[in-house]
Order: sequence, then C-alpha cells, then structure tokens
Amino acid sequence: MTEQQDPRCPSLTRRRFLGALGASVAVASAGAYGISVWGRNPQDSGIAQVGTTTTTTTAPPLPAGTLPIVGDRTLVVIEMGGGNDGLNTVVPHTSGRYHDLRGELAVVDPLDLDGEIGLHPELSYVADRYAAGHVAIVEGIGYPDPDLSHFASMATWWSASSAGEYPTGWLGRYLDATSGSDDPLAGVTIGPGPTPALLGATSFQISVQDMSGLSPQIPQWIDSRDELAGLWRGLAPAGFDDTSALDVVRRAIEVTTDAQDQLNDVLGAPGVAAPTVSAGRRRSDLEESILVAAALVTSPTPPRVVYIHGWGDFDTHEGQADRHGDMMAQLNAALQSLFAAADSAGVCDRLVVMTTSEFGRRPAYNGSGTDHGTANTHFVIGPQVVGGRYGEAPSLTGLDTRGNPRHSVDYRSVYASILTGWLGASAEALLGETHETLPLFAT
Amino acid sequence: MVSDNERISHICRRLGYGAQPDMVATVGSADAARDALLDLSAPADASFRLDPPDEFDPETDRGNLIALLSFWLEQLATSPRRIEERLVWFWHDHFATDVRKVQTSYFMYLQHQTIRRHATGSFRDLLHAIAVDPAMLVYLDGAQNTADAINENFGREVMELFTLGRGHYTEDDVVAASRAFSGWVAIRDGSRARRPVDLDPWTSHFIPIRHDSGAKTLLGTTGRLDAVDAIDILLEQERTAEFIAHKLYVHLVGLEPATDELDRISTAFRADYDTMDLVTAIAAEPAFTSDAAVLAKVRTPLEKAVGVVQAFGGERGRLRSLGDTLRTMGYVPLAPPNVAGYPEGPALLDPHRLVHTFDFSVLIPEDVRGMSPVEIMNRLGIYDISPNTHDVLESVPDTGGRIAMAINSPEYHLV
Repeated sequence: MTEQQDPRCPSLTRRRFLGALGASVAVASAGAYGISVWGRNPQDSGIAQVGTTTTTTTAPPLPAGTLPIVGDRTLVVIEMGGGNDGLNTVVPHTSGRYHDLRGELAVVDPLDLDGEIGLHPELSYVADRYAAGHVAIVEGIGYPDPDLSHFASMATWWSASSAGEYPTGWLGRYLDATSGSDDPLAGVTIGPGPTPALLGATSFQISVQDMSGLSPQIPQWIDSRDELAGLWRGLAPAGFDDTSALDVVRRAIEVTTDAQDQLNDVLGAPGVAAPTVSAGRRRSDLEESILVAAALVTSPTPPRVVYIHGWGDFDTHEGQADRHGDMMAQLNAALQSLFAAADSAGVCDRLVVMTTSEFGRRPAYNGSGTDHGTANTHFVIGPQVVGGRYGEAPSLTGLDTRGNPRHSVDYRSVYASILTGWLGASAEALLGETHETLPLFAT
Repeated sequence: MVSDNERISHICRRLGYGAQPDMVATVGSADAARDALLDLSAPADASFRLDPPDEFDPETDRGNLIALLSFWLEQLATSPRRIEERLVWFWHDHFATDVRKVQTSYFMYLQHQTIRRHATGSFRDLLHAIAVDPAMLVYLDGAQNTADAINENFGREVMELFTLGRGHYTEDDVVAASRAFSGWVAIRDGSRARRPVDLDPWTSHFIPIRHDSGAKTLLGTTGRLDAVDAIDILLEQERTAEFIAHKLYVHLVGLEPATDELDRISTAFRADYDTMDLVTAIAAEPAFTSDAAVLAKVRTPLEKAVGVVQAFGGERGRLRSLGDTLRTMGYVPLAPPNVAGYPEGPALLDPHRLVHTFDFSVLIPEDVRGMSPVEIMNRLGIYDISPNTHDVLESVPDTGGRIAMAINSPEYHLV
C-alpha cells in the first residue's frame, strides 16, 4: 500500500500529526478514565494547550516499521457497547444455577454446542461456523478489580490498561508500530466518530459512518460544488507548524483529504452528493456498517484493522429479553453477510472477526433485565481460527460480593493471542508486559 | 493578538450561541457584551406548549417531537435570553436523556420544560426534579427499580455523571442510592392495561409498596432514605459543587481552571447552588476573556448549525434537512449518543464529521450574491481571519460556494 502514497503529502508531514490532532486527543484524554476521545473528560474541551506534549506513556511509541505487516490480513472488531450479556449469548443451559439466577430471562431454547453450553437461538450462523471449527469461544474474560462503570471499563478495554498507563489505544499502538502514518486506510473505524481503541501516537484512523463514504452533501445550485472538496485541501497549506488550535484543524483536514478519494473509490461513493431528506426506515446500523466493512476487506488494499462501534444498546437493565434477542439476530446476520462477501471475493482466509464489550452482565435477573457485571464471553471467528472453547466458563456459584462472576482469562491474553497469532506482532511490545496466549490460531 | 471584535464575538459564542446579526458592531465593549449575554430581563417565549395526548399514538408522538425540536432550534438561534439557551443545552447534555429509548415525546417535552424552568435557577431544584422526571425514570430505568428488584442504572449514573464523578463513591453507595430511589413509576397514557389503579397519566408517581423502605447507608448517612433524602445527601457533598463548577467552567472557558479559580467558583456555587451565581463568577474570571480562551474549543455540530442559521437566516422549511445533517453528525438534540452526553473536543474533528460539515450548506439561501470573504466571515462571527483562509475563500468563484467553504474553514471549526 505504501506505493499508493499520496505525493501531495509526504509521510514526514503526516507524522507531525502527532503534534496536532493525535497528541491533542491523547493529551486531552489522559484524565480520570485514562483515555477518552468521546471528550467527556474536563480537559477535553481545551485544545489551546496543543503542542505542549504532556503525555504519560510508559514508553515512547514504536516507530513505523518496527513490527511486520503479515500479508493482507484484516482484523475486524465488533464492539457491543453497553455491556453484552455473555451468559445469554453463550448459554450454560444445563446449569441449574443459571436457571435459578436468571428465572424467566433464562434462554430456554439455545442452540446446543456440546451438551453443556449453547448459543442464543438467534445465532444460527455462528453455531454452523462453530460446527465447522471456525469459531473460538473464549469464556470468563475479565480483569482484576473490575470497575462497573461503563466509561472506566471501556477505557480499560480500549487502552489495554486499568491504571491509565497508556494514553493510546491497543490497536492504535499496533498501527503506530506497523504502517505508522504512511497508509491513510490502515485503520478504519465504522461508527459515530473515532474510537479510542485505534487512537495512535503517529498513526491515525479514518472514521466513516456508511456507504456514502466521505462524500459531502452540497446543493446543486452552488456553482462550485464539484470543486469545493479539492479547494478545501488548500485550507491545510504546506508548512503549518502545529502550534495553534487552528493548526489542529488544518491537520485534521489534511488527513481527511489524504484518505478521502481512496476511501470513496473503495466504497463506490460519489465524492459529492445532493442533499437528501431521510426517507423511511434505514438499515440497522450494524447492517450498514457491515456493508462498509465488506467493501474494505475485499478491496485490493484491505485495512489492517476495521473497528465497528456505536452499534446496539447492550446496557439491558430493562426489557432485556426482546432487546437482546434483536441484537443477537443483527449480529448473526452481520457475520453471515460479512463472511459471505469475503467468500465470494475469495478472501475469507484474510479475515478474522472478534467481539468486545466493556463487561458482562450480572447473573441475577433484576426483574426486567440485568445490571452491570464482570467476566464475559467473546467470539473470535474466521477460517484461520482454531475453533473450540477457551478459558473457563464463569462459575455461577463462586460469585463476588456484588453477585458477579470472577474472570479466568485476562482480556489482554485475548489481545496478545490475536496480535501474535493473527497479526504477527509482538504483544509484549504493544501491551507492555507478557500475557499468556491462547492457541487461537494454528502455528 | 486577538482583536477587540473577535473578543466580543468570543463572549457571544461562549455565553450564547454566537453573535446575532449586528451585535458585535453595536455592543461596543467586552464588558457590555458580557452584560448583554447574561441579561435575562427579556421575557421567555411561553408560546410553545404541548397538550398531554389522550392516548399514545406514534404519529402524534412523532409530530410532537418535531414540534419540540423546531421550537428548541428556533430558541437557540433567536432567543434574547442567550445564557439561558446556553444552559438549557448544558443541562440537557449533563442529564443526557434519549428519546429513542424513552419513546415518548411528551415525556421529553416535560423534561425539556423542567430543564428550561430551572436552567438559570437552582441546581438543587433541578436535580430533585430530574430524579423523579418521567423521561429520566424511563431512560435510566428508575421505573423498573423496585424493592424486590433493585435496578442500579440511575443510582450509579446519578453519582458518576450527575453529581460526584467517579472515585467519590463506592459500589455499596450505588446499591444504597438505588434502593433509596426505588418505587417511582412514569405513567404514560390512560388506556394502558398495566396502569396501576387510578394514577394520573403523563406524570410520575411514587408507589410506596414498590419502595424499599429499609435502612440504608449512603455516603456515611444512615436512615430509611428515600429519593429526596438521597438527593439531599448528594448535594451536601462538597464534591458535588466542585464537580458541577468544574464542568461548567470548562464548558464556558474552554480551559482547565487553576486551583484557586476552582476554589472560588465552587465556594460561590455551594452556598445555595444558584446557577447564575456560578455563571457570573466564571464569566468574571480573567481567564474567560483571555487570549488563550479565544478559539480554544472545537465548535460542535449544533453550534455550527445554529451559527449558520443566525448568519444567513435558515428557513423553517429547511429544518428537516438540518435535522438530517445533525443526525449524520450524531448531534441531534434529545438523542445523545450515550448516557454521558454528546462528544466534545478534538474527537469532533474526525474525517466523517469534517467532510459532512459541508452539508450545512443546505442552509445557505440561494439568492446570496457578491459577498467578499471578509463579509462572509464577519457574518459568521469571525473577525480574525488567517491569510491562508482568506486566500482560499477568495479562490472560490461563487458566493454560495464561498460560504460553504467558510463553514468548513479552520476558523469556523473552533469557538
């Protein structure tokens, strides 16, 4: 992909992105939650101090090229925001304790996998792939001293640290150490804005919402409408020096225009569109996100990482039975269409999908849903995955004082397994310490 | 160096939603601008009201939502009570409640009226009202929180997001608060079968049998606490005044307060939680009008939209398109992306939102002609224009395109 580098913007210039947008997001977010590009930290509002680099990394970011890029492999992450109920996703249906705790919320007709656990009945495609040996089910994932705040727990998962050691995201560090700032489409986020998980020090993520790509809607009557995107680039002239807030915006414009045409080509997006008034039903967010993901992973130059977020509302304190079932159906359909697209393009060997969520939900039913929990179960899916069960199912008898299960697999072990087993990267270099890896991939 | 006009415009942007036409030219000084923006002597617009529906009906409900949003957007652009609009948004973002979950526009209307009523008044009254507000009871599941089945959603977020901030309470406090808040319901319409006995519809009610009346210990205070007690305990914490004062300072100034500043403003606020006292104290801090504060924040999509409407007079017929653009940006009032409210800061400069900033060009009137870059930028409230931006605007041949470019210029992305 480096051959396609935009000649208008040498990578040296792009690397200074660190001094502007990337660093400002990172600086701004190294607050109470460790990391947050959602801007909920008090510091986030002020970007005037841009350029005063007060980041607190334990180690400087790894230079681009430090770690290898393996083939055309892509990792697709699907984030289930709000805390997915792993117990009703991968169901311990033969456990009497499960039925006692869950009462009427218990899934009574799961798709049995092995006489002990079964999948939510909406996950029929996942069950089929499990039978084919392409699905790893990792049970009991969590971290020590779990925090039941959405935002604190998300920050932990995104940064791969609980103590705020890292102002960057775990996948942002991977992008820093591989393509760095040389490849504008190495990391793509599909959803409402950037994700802290892909926040890098030198790399950047392109965020996109749907198949319209990065195409603005401009009324037909504006005579210069087709020229505006090209002229817009001029607002980020060569030689600005990242010292002011205005330069932060200029850098963001530069990065966006670098990726814009390439991304629109991949998605078949028009470049500029006419204003529309919304008509009727839209596809579910995830369905639309998956169309984008499929176009990206089947393109001649697929991203290293595609991160889908902002989908669903898994915070099912209430009305869980219907809401969770709907989202499981969406997840199942999304996985099916993504792998179908990859199959027909002949590239499904290049694709691994993993699910994440900030925590699981409490085993005890609260009368209409479930409250915040801890240890959780996730999927890693793809033809290259060694299917089966990993970790240990959370014990429903040894719950903690809050009534939550204890974890058996550190979430960083899952990251380490994917970084080394799939992306061919050094987990130690990116996570700062050694974590046990699971044999999710054949060696 | 920041010019006098830019500083006046800055005050208008931070205490309101930008300079309404001719404001900067006529107001004279920064002090006069601050007084004008904080002036609440003009009467509030009381013309808008919704009647409680006889029965819930999706079509009526959707109409109510559009009417409420239209009213609000018009207030944002035109209300003479500028600090009030600024605070109405601040509190909506603070007590983020999403109509997509509440599913009842009339409840959102009631909450909006509650916020509007207390926005410039007592935070104490506002917090008490929000704790039993029908939309909030639905959004954070208070309506499902009963003695038999404690639901922790509101009990956690009221401390993490609304009063104390994380690290200032324990998981035991979450349980105690949740128990104290149990027993409230929001009744939607008169026809619903599950409506308990003879409760008036379209409001919230306390049902004693659903309340956990046992003893609890919340933040060190033990008793048979109910919702009022719990809110009072939260308001007794010094941390609550500091948390709100800090958040509002950062919202208005765009910089981190120094320790002594934070002490001053939170002490002023804690006395009786008067929000206008707090605003006045923040606006009096030298940092508020300092060069460092000018253009130190990223302009939100809502602020962009309101600014364009103020500058070029958005027609009502285009409101629908504006709603679509705000949805593209994830910034529709009454539909925050999550319980923590709307994104702010550099995260708003992501490629998707940057590109779609051009979409606000739908608000430009088709008959604009012959405006220079300086005229356009001044109309948008920007007086200090970088030479490069000026050159690029000049290179756009038509006025419509020039305005579209101005809306997507580095200067306009900041406030």
